Amino acid sequence: MSRPLRIALPKGRMMDEALRLFEALGAPVDPAARDSRRLILPSAGGRFEFLPVKSGDVAVYVEAGVADAGVVGLDVLEEGDPDVLRPLDLGFGACRLAVAAPEGTPYPWLPGGGTPRVATKYVESARAFFAGRGVQVELVRISGSVELAPLLGLSDWIVDLVQTGRTLAENGLVVLEEIRASTARLIVNRASHKLRLEDHQRLIADLAAAAERAAAGGG
Amino acid sequence: MSSARVSPVPPGSQDLLAGDVRRRRRVQRAWFALADALGYEEVIPPTFEYEEVFTRTAGPELASRLIRFVDRDGRLVALRADFTSAIARMVATRLAGAPSPLRLSYAGKVYRQEPEGVGRRRELFQLGAELIGEPSPEADVEVLRMAIGVLKALEVRDFQINLGDIRFIRPLLAGLDAAAAEALRTAIDRKDRAALASGARAFGAPAAVARALVELPELIGRGDVLLRARALASGREAEEAIERLRAVDALLTPEERSHVVYDLGEIRGLGYYTGIQFEVYVAGVGRAVGYGGRYDGLLALYGADRPAVGFALETDALADLLAGEGR
Repeated sequence: MSRPLRIALPKGRMMDEALRLFEALGAPVDPAARDSRRLILPSAGGRFEFLPVKSGDVAVYVEAGVADAGVVGLDVLEEGDPDVLRPLDLGFGACRLAVAAPEGTPYPWLPGGGTPRVATKYVESARAFFAGRGVQVELVRISGSVELAPLLGLSDWIVDLVQTGRTLAENGLVVLEEIRASTARLIVNRASHKLRLEDHQRLIADLAAAAERAAAGGG
Repeated sequence: MSSARVSPVPPGSQDLLAGDVRRRRRVQRAWFALADALGYEEVIPPTFEYEEVFTRTAGPELASRLIRFVDRDGRLVALRADFTSAIARMVATRLAGAPSPLRLSYAGKVYRQEPEGVGRRRELFQLGAELIGEPSPEADVEVLRMAIGVLKALEVRDFQINLGDIRFIRPLLAGLDAAAAEALRTAIDRKDRAALASGARAFGAPAAVARALVELPELIGRGDVLLRARALASGREAEEAIERLRAVDALLTPEERSHVVYDLGEIRGLGYYTGIQFEVYVAGVGRAVGYGGRYDGLLALYGADRPAVGFALETDALADLLAGEGR
């Protein structure tokens, strides 16, 4: 048998949901490895190896060919624009990238002029969005707790991922405009896709079927 | 005395020493031994050209990656970013009267801008060939066979050629405005079925076109995929694409065929391709190490309308592959 397909997964909730899909297609994480501190988790049966990494690094591993495929949110893909195949929308991990600010903040212009400051982790996506709308902004790249930025006066608006909206609401922020909806995607290394075509075609078909069953089951 | 140190080389450029040079020369020797035996004559185009040689047809992607400077007379000049464009210009000017077919080979550097901070090479060694004046499937196969031949000569065993024909895709994008066509090209290139379905809806594609667009990511495989694709071909041009690929398939030996995957969604090449186009993938390298195809319209731009087909391989990637295997 050929070597297992190596799948990069983003640590956290999306990884749990991805592993549930793999379990549904008969490839759960090998129980012997589940609670270990191993860097690479084999699947029972040896068809896959799962590589847990930070979500921003999934595409890096896949683009370089170190992982054959990966699971990552569309939001992260659009931000980094890695050169990979995107054959499948897996349906889970739904969230949206949105412009938000404290309730009552003027948008999309500040009264009396001035360039609005926008704090975000998603600088490229924010740049493209505001450029497309013809709005001139100053972008501030920060790496966490984005919702604090307007409260502390670092920015007028923020661009961030919104899942349930609870974090925003807790900080008195509201969504001003949605930029794009995002779900988890299967991404595939271009070279691996050609060199192991049958393996990838089977993976894509199996995951598509499992995702469809999960969606039908109200998942 | 100044304590300032001499700056190292700019990002993306590099010194090559001992083994790195040896392996590149070994790849080049294997290449020229093969090309010479097939009657290909080496040419050396200039290191810099007027920039329009590269911007006219190669497409916006390459145009955005030229390393340019202003010449003494004020004209814009670019470092050689692509051998095929330079050789097309050469054939249409210096070799305008030469009888067809022309068989030309080359090996040397191309220079391409890369995003800042990534540290990717901005100068790359390539090798390749152009077969000019031959429109036949036999010419397409001659070029494919050379690409396979280099890899075999270097004892690379695990490789695939991803082969398509742009005429299958072109009619699917006909009549769309530039932005819509670009969005669909990107979705085709990523095999992004969801984006193809929503794009086809958004741009109001006719039912047959929408069906072909959504099926494109699956139209990849061995020879049988050409039969499936024929059922989806929309019009004369797409049928010609399938006919050509079938003709190529029939000319390949079983051993060569085992290295070819037909991919009707193959759309990666530079903008001048008009017929078959392909990429070469080698195990252990995460991206394509070679590309090629037919560019029947390129020479006409310089007033010498001749069909042509060619390919290029990344010498550095092949040399690094040898290094990785301790060879």
